[in-house]
Amino acid sequence: MRRFSRICILGGGSAGWMTAAAISAKFHKNEAEITLIESEQIGTVGVGEATLPHIRFFNQALGIDEATFMKSTQATFKLGIEFCDWGKLGDHYIHPFGDYGLPIENLDFHQFWLRLQQAGESRRISDYSYPILAAEDGRFQTPGQDLNQIGSNFGYAYQFDSSLYAKFLRGFSENKGVRRVEGRVTDVQLDADTGHVSTLTLEDGSQITADLFIDCSGFRGVLIEQTLQTGYDDWSEWLPCNRAVAIPCESRGELSPYTRATARTAGWQWRIPLQHRTGNGHVYCSEFISDDEATEQLLSTLEGPALADPNQLYFKTGRRKMFWNRNVVSVGLSAGFLEPLESTSIHLIQEGITALIELFPVTEISDLDVDEYNRRMGLNFERVRDFLLLHYVATQRDDSEMWRHFRAMTLPTSLQDKLSAWLSRGYIPAYEFGVFLPPSWVAVMLGQNLFPKQYDPRIDRFELSDIQSRLEAIRRQTEHAVQSTPKQADFLKRYGAASETPPHVAGSL
Amino acid sequence: MTSLQDPILVYGAGLAGHLATASLANGLGKSRPVVQICPPDHTEADAFYGGSTAPTAYNFLLGLGLSEPTLLLKSATSFSLGTQFRRWLNSRSWMQCHHSPLSTPEGIPMRHVLARLGLPLEPLLISAQVALAGRFAHPPTDPNSILSRAEYGYQFSAQEWTALLNQHLRASPARRIETAIATIEASDGVIRAITLETGETLNPCLVVDASGPSREAVLAAGGVYSSSRRVTAHAQITPTTQLGPACRIVDATATGWTASTFLQGAEHRLTVGSPQDGAPGAGFEIAPGALNAAWVGNCVAIGQACAVIEPLTPAPMMMLQRDIERLLELIPTSAGMDVERAEFNRRYREDVAHLNLFQSPILSADNAPDTAYWRDIGAQEDDPRLERKLAQFGHRGILVNYDLEPFNEEDWTILHLGQGRTPRIYDRQADQISEQDARRTLGQIKAMIDQVVPRMPPHHLYMTKLKQYLEKQNHG
Repeated sequence: MRRFSRICILGGGSAGWMTAAAISAKFHKNEAEITLIESEQIGTVGVGEATLPHIRFFNQALGIDEATFMKSTQATFKLGIEFCDWGKLGDHYIHPFGDYGLPIENLDFHQFWLRLQQAGESRRISDYSYPILAAEDGRFQTPGQDLNQIGSNFGYAYQFDSSLYAKFLRGFSENKGVRRVEGRVTDVQLDADTGHVSTLTLEDGSQITADLFIDCSGFRGVLIEQTLQTGYDDWSEWLPCNRAVAIPCESRGELSPYTRATARTAGWQWRIPLQHRTGNGHVYCSEFISDDEATEQLLSTLEGPALADPNQLYFKTGRRKMFWNRNVVSVGLSAGFLEPLESTSIHLIQEGITALIELFPVTEISDLDVDEYNRRMGLNFERVRDFLLLHYVATQRDDSEMWRHFRAMTLPTSLQDKLSAWLSRGYIPAYEFGVFLPPSWVAVMLGQNLFPKQYDPRIDRFELSDIQSRLEAIRRQTEHAVQSTPKQADFLKRYGAASETPPHVAGSL
Repeated sequence: MTSLQDPILVYGAGLAGHLATASLANGLGKSRPVVQICPPDHTEADAFYGGSTAPTAYNFLLGLGLSEPTLLLKSATSFSLGTQFRRWLNSRSWMQCHHSPLSTPEGIPMRHVLARLGLPLEPLLISAQVALAGRFAHPPTDPNSILSRAEYGYQFSAQEWTALLNQHLRASPARRIETAIATIEASDGVIRAITLETGETLNPCLVVDASGPSREAVLAAGGVYSSSRRVTAHAQITPTTQLGPACRIVDATATGWTASTFLQGAEHRLTVGSPQDGAPGAGFEIAPGALNAAWVGNCVAIGQACAVIEPLTPAPMMMLQRDIERLLELIPTSAGMDVERAEFNRRYREDVAHLNLFQSPILSADNAPDTAYWRDIGAQEDDPRLERKLAQFGHRGILVNYDLEPFNEEDWTILHLGQGRTPRIYDRQADQISEQDARRTLGQIKAMIDQVVPRMPPHHLYMTKLKQYLEKQNHG
């Protein structure tokens, strides 16, 4: 039986080139003949510039040298996300990549902190987090080997120029034998018997025939939706933001190793510091603010002169009813959209690619493969959705229509149960499969002033003074570890990851 | 309404009761009063915990102050590398061993490489080969040693561990009352008062029902137990002069199955069948099944009081350990206990379902004997989650995982392949290494095992020497 070997990827943004890179690295050239179609006329969305720590494993699996990749993509290190004005106006906290403190006798650190907090202890829980203190002071170094040691018990990710990342991976993929075809799809032919996509016709008349098509065509979903009409689960009911406007600006000040998400009256604004510029954007709900007002809010808060015109984006939060339908697998924005509040866009691409490689067709497409792929990706999307929604509902804000809308919302049961357990006793119902594990939930809940009524009763077996001295020792250790950490800019240079080109300046591009 | 100042009351003096009391006393210290009610001999059914543990028992017991030296020196406990299914259904036999993550040649999961080459897994499992050779040594920490991939639990006597815990509990802050319960007063699903045969009445905050299959407290609180069958169990102890292998051995019989557990100085044999096929000897009847909710009102059932799982594998002890860990994580912080109850029951149901997912395929066979026991097994409903697991593995070696399953990927891989479930197609990633390289890699693993195993001491000799060493070190 003939092997399933002809693969066509439609779209060449981050999703397309990440897919091409991963598949070409996994299969020998003679095992998979990969064609990627992209059009320079269409362009890419390119807003997924902040990532989660999992991206490192993706790059490592491809054998990519970290410093080379960072230099090529103008990347900075990322220790977490700073959320401003979410719990209430004037608040800010960092959701770090890592736990607070260290467990004590197998009990969660935050439970000890809650005990102290209820006894009137005034220190922030952030003071016990190495990645938070390092981020706040603009410091970074890669973790050491012992992940149970303060100063090493954290993860890190990157902030990079996603169009440069796509370009970087394009070079990687083409070296592995991926064929790039420039052009726009004008016609899609389906197999009369199976209903599978068989051939794509480009505007120059050329045709691409393949066994498997990976739709990375972005919001349009040229194959998964426009052709196969797979359908879309609209999650606007819970996440109503439906537009974004993005604009880069000149960098100002110290290179911060974290992304910032600032809550606004009708959405939120991102700030992603790269080596050569700062990425900015405003995600908002058109029901509560006009496009002009949203753009004005964004422009008025840029830290430096704009480097381009605002780029307007339209979307609907949700997911494709089937991520894999017939012989089309949707990856990236064609699979669904969840606002990039927690930098999940590239992560969901990565999850899709990982699942696809594990379930890659051998001689034919099996319903079992399709079913398992859709089950896994459905779970990923739903769990990210709940975590994003948490940011909007864990709030005391009621200063605009949008915030009042969230305060009146009926939550998905899965989220409501988590909130109840947390508020009652600082407990997070855990799951194994999903990107955000309990420490992330703890960070957002405490960061947005959701303080539990009680703490784990097992903490009461410790004397208060014992808890105080143990936590103080952890805090001092953390502080000491941060003081001996270099500034990010220095580390980038020492690491060989500093860009060799000067930062962008308005009017010079 | 109960008050959090009232004691947490553990009812039961068997393995579950003692483990729960020790865990609560250890976890809560003197911050909450814990009272254990120890009724007279209530522990016959503890034999149905099966006498073997998973590797996780080491840390669990250590956390209670029961170290391995104590277990080995003060009871007949021995090591367990897993369970050998010998003469099992469909004429299968395999070693369901405990193993750390399997090797991944060139990053490709072992099961795919094996499927491509058509090779069996068992010769490549160090713990299986050590157990089958009747040998044992502690896995070293050096990752370069093939033996470091082995994991182990214990073979034990529930009665002995109960006695050991009983002694251990004398030093705990828990109050212990040796008497039976006279009456349980419950209303609106809440246990208000428990009167003991001594005449004393206790008003509990929380009742932990560890009374075994009688589950008196949780039934009084309104618990509903579901079971579709009953089995008979007969436990027999035969003295031995030499310790047997570091694994349990389970055999299928026409009317059920038998399990042999090898302890220091004795072999414990458990025979399980159906009462309709005739009792296998003087034993007890027990109904495999589970409570619909293990936490009802202010009463939490643990161990056999909440779920009876056939001890084909360490599943019953895994369940008991999880029951206790779940309880400790959810000690109530309010008299209403709504959050704790809901979360405990959610996790409890998942654990019961997941453990049964693992055991169901062991018991199912197309050509099982036409006797009451096997007919009852055949009448069980299939869980769609299991069907997905079996279908995906049979299709292309995919391991379907659900959140926080007690049995891990290695356990499932060993089970699938041990039962002869071969993927129809293998993952094409396995083609990324040449057949020659793949055979060489697997050959090296096998050669290391073949070299290491014969040099290891027999289980009995290792135990003797280890105990001599521990005694010299004044352990125990």
